[in-house]
Amino acid sequence: MNRIDTLKSKLFKNKREISLERALLYTEAYEKYREEPVIIKRARATENILNNIEIHIDDDELIVGSRVVKPRSGILSPEMSPYWFLEEIDTIHNRPQDPFYISKEDKAIYRNKLYPYWKGNSLKDYVDKKIPEDLKEGMELGIIKLNQTDKGQGHIIPDFGALIEDGLQAKVDLVQEKLKKNPNNLFLQANLITLKATQNYIKRYEKLALEMAQQEIDSTRKEELELIAKVCGNIAEKAPRNFHEAVQLFWLVNICLQYESNASSISSGRFDQYMYPIFKKSLEEGMELSFIEEILKCLWIKMNEVVLLRSVDSAKYFAGFPTGYTIILGGVDKYGKDATNELSLLILDTYKDIKLPQPNLGARVHKNSDEEFLQKVAETIKLGTGMPQLFNDEIIIPGFLNRGISLEDARDYAVVGCVELSIPGKTYGLHDIALFNLLRVFELTLKRDCQDVKSFDEFLKILKGNISKYIVKMVEGSNIVDKAHGDFAPTPLLSTFIDGCLEKGIDVSNGGAKYNFSGVQGIGIANLSDSLYVLKKAVFEEEKLTIEELVDILNNNYENNEFLRQAFINKYPKYGNDVDDVDLLGKEILSYYCKEVEKYKNIREGFFQPGSYTVSAHIPLGEQVGATPDGRLAKEQLADGGLSPMVGRDQEGPTAVLKTVSKLDNRLTTNGSLLNVKFHPSSLETHEGLRKFIGYIKAFVKLKVQHVQFNIVSADLLRQAQKNPENFKDLVIRVAGYSAIFVDLNEDIQNDIINRTEHVL
Amino acid sequence: MGENLVFNIQRYSLNDGEGIRTIVFLKGCPLRCPWCSNPESQSFEREVFRRKKLCINCNSKDIFSCGIAPNLCPTNAKSHIGDKMSIEEIVEEVKKDKVFYETTGGGVTISGGEPLSQGRFLVNLLKALKNENIHTAMETSGFGSFDTLDEASNYLDLILFDLKIMDREKAKTILNVDMDIVKENFQYLVKKDKKIIPRIPLIPGFTMDKQNIDDIISFVVKNNLKEVHMLPFHQYGSSKYEALGLEYKLIDLKPPNDEKIQEIKEYMEKYDLKVIIGG
Repeated sequence: MNRIDTLKSKLFKNKREISLERALLYTEAYEKYREEPVIIKRARATENILNNIEIHIDDDELIVGSRVVKPRSGILSPEMSPYWFLEEIDTIHNRPQDPFYISKEDKAIYRNKLYPYWKGNSLKDYVDKKIPEDLKEGMELGIIKLNQTDKGQGHIIPDFGALIEDGLQAKVDLVQEKLKKNPNNLFLQANLITLKATQNYIKRYEKLALEMAQQEIDSTRKEELELIAKVCGNIAEKAPRNFHEAVQLFWLVNICLQYESNASSISSGRFDQYMYPIFKKSLEEGMELSFIEEILKCLWIKMNEVVLLRSVDSAKYFAGFPTGYTIILGGVDKYGKDATNELSLLILDTYKDIKLPQPNLGARVHKNSDEEFLQKVAETIKLGTGMPQLFNDEIIIPGFLNRGISLEDARDYAVVGCVELSIPGKTYGLHDIALFNLLRVFELTLKRDCQDVKSFDEFLKILKGNISKYIVKMVEGSNIVDKAHGDFAPTPLLSTFIDGCLEKGIDVSNGGAKYNFSGVQGIGIANLSDSLYVLKKAVFEEEKLTIEELVDILNNNYENNEFLRQAFINKYPKYGNDVDDVDLLGKEILSYYCKEVEKYKNIREGFFQPGSYTVSAHIPLGEQVGATPDGRLAKEQLADGGLSPMVGRDQEGPTAVLKTVSKLDNRLTTNGSLLNVKFHPSSLETHEGLRKFIGYIKAFVKLKVQHVQFNIVSADLLRQAQKNPENFKDLVIRVAGYSAIFVDLNEDIQNDIINRTEHVL
Repeated sequence: MGENLVFNIQRYSLNDGEGIRTIVFLKGCPLRCPWCSNPESQSFEREVFRRKKLCINCNSKDIFSCGIAPNLCPTNAKSHIGDKMSIEEIVEEVKKDKVFYETTGGGVTISGGEPLSQGRFLVNLLKALKNENIHTAMETSGFGSFDTLDEASNYLDLILFDLKIMDREKAKTILNVDMDIVKENFQYLVKKDKKIIPRIPLIPGFTMDKQNIDDIISFVVKNNLKEVHMLPFHQYGSSKYEALGLEYKLIDLKPPNDEKIQEIKEYMEKYDLKVIIGG
């Protein structure tokens, strides 16, 4: 087996474990520096981890750096919340979604040491104390879901370009210079502590590689280890001299950032752009292309070693532990010209041999996208891992301009996590701070506030009033969580890589970034459009039944009313079929939600911005909603993705779906939106089929839909995988916005994927 | 007749002409091909369709004895086939995918039934599509009025012309078609320099014998055409016969195997024909 295959197979060899090492080192430092201000304590905690955590170089590795010795192990951050893990400590090894194994000894350490230390002192305690009663009501009603109340904030793209160009010492020098002028600035002190710890962490790999080289008998491997030592030795301080060093620096800094916050989606941004100069230089200096390919593949495998340990509840919303090493390729440059280069193409090529959930690959497309790039994009999509997902410059850039972002920065946008849109190296966007269940607001409105409503317009007015009312609460809640992170969990190391923080001397979590947003997702637009349409027609126009009768039927979950439920499903057109009467209802409500959200300022002098994506949250959010007039039963899932039609209700094929979504005001959802379209593999088999598919992508660009991703799979294959998971360990499947390994998903989500309408030839 | 019924408008069609297309299926056909996979296309009248699988037995134990009016059936298990649509309504509907026609070189394909049976309606529909600058194609058996064909072809960019059974007698008895008319129409279109792609249904026991294939080849070659499509028999239409209450005589017929299809393809390629399977 070659290096890549060996490394890949090792990824899945062990069962996923939990390592307490980081939590213990973090806690040790917190105890030692307990008298220090928060930001210094945090820096010392990161420092203690980076100086002392066990490091390891695997036999076949070329790119080194692991968060834990065993790949795909989870780590804990009890400083964020010690509670959920205590509750789940005895069941986590056999929970349905993303199980992890923990030893008896470690359980005891957690119970006796970590839990008591953090109980009452975690971020979660901090947040819970501040949430007022009326906001709790909105949360308990299932309308508002606040995220990041018990874990790191993440959802950000560091400025890797500057890191690669200047190296770490340049950052250290800059911080020291600033400290000379402002010696009492705690933030800058914390920067220095964490940056130096990062350098030391890299030097530890140099030392380890040298020690291992001395012991190594195999001469080839000995040389490799010496090379690793040389690479690490240089990048600990200096700017990388070649592509190998650049990738190694990129990865080790990523690991350090992971240690600091243990957060989801510290994303990779426009890797093909900022890595291009050094890629080109290395080629010119004679580095073999095959070696570059190997380096890239090693990095892609590394990205799959890091998995996030989430609570049962969180794992439902974010199934398959998405880590969010999101890379975006292509798109326009700062002058508006196509920016695709040889590295963009090479990344797509190398991905073909990897086919794992990370990196989460995306491609930016626009009206002048390079034809060869589009061809490769289509060929890669054909592999069936759902990658790359596509983002449309023609609507996203204007959307950002509307948010006060400069044209140059807007043209440089990239993607965080799943589909969240962000300006790399410049934005602290809280992209995933809250979810807003629009369908649940509709249900409450219908059942609670509308006994005497005489017209559909009157109903819409009350619905909009309720949306506004609960948005106020969501804003309040998001700001509480925002402040909690700033007060309790600043991230000085991350801040050194975000434009604005060092200049202002303010941590990224306290408003140091150039751009400051809070992103909140409006969810359920497909079910809402369908429900509103049935209500409008059946109750107000055809007068088939009264609101009271309808509410009664819904309260009884259509019991003994299957006839009516079927009629609601089949006799009224549905969102996703390009029928204006329905689609425009969705547009009206989504636009209203967006316009309301964007009125509000957050606590970092930035604004709230709306998005519409669910990741896998359409299943738990569906559990919060009773039966609805679209024929959906109580607790049944919502439409997936964010903007996708309800499962099985789109019957006109993928062109109609795209048309429906194009009617929404897609300029407004600047935090990101998500559309899943499923294609049968047979439609892409031939050259001609692929050409038509590229035409479909071009229509997507013209129609100014923000995002689309493709599931190219057959239902039969998925059913086989469900039955024989052991044979399908490497089957990567899209779950709304990111990829996961199919057999890692629980049965509900597997069934959901299987059921999504297949657009067969 | 004279009703001009549409029985389906199918978007995102990939196999009936270039690019992404919308197919407008017009109801009514003078032919009776035993293998027809759209039996609901045959009658010129509106029909009732009963899909057993969709029925939830809300009104009756058996969909075939259910008296519910199709417009009231909640699951559409029982439905009407054939809608009266104006040309404006059809154009409005097919225009919805115009952006996809533009990016893929696609357009609208008129199918049937036999579109030529629709007379003026067909001509006016094509004229309206051309006014919208939409690429047009037609699937036809070629069996229809010369005048309609002549006029319709002025507004057609592509004609997908079926060549099924070339033998006069067999074609008459099996398909109810007059091959003299079909051949004449075909040759007229060739002379008129229209773009024609012959389409050959591969139906075991009906069209795949050497004699018929040779006849098709010699006809195609004589008319200087370079490309043909072969459409292998399938059983996807069989449940529709049940839904219409019709007997399906080919219910047990197996689709031809890949080797056989390949063999015919290679045989035709010897005559310098480009052969595409499945269109």
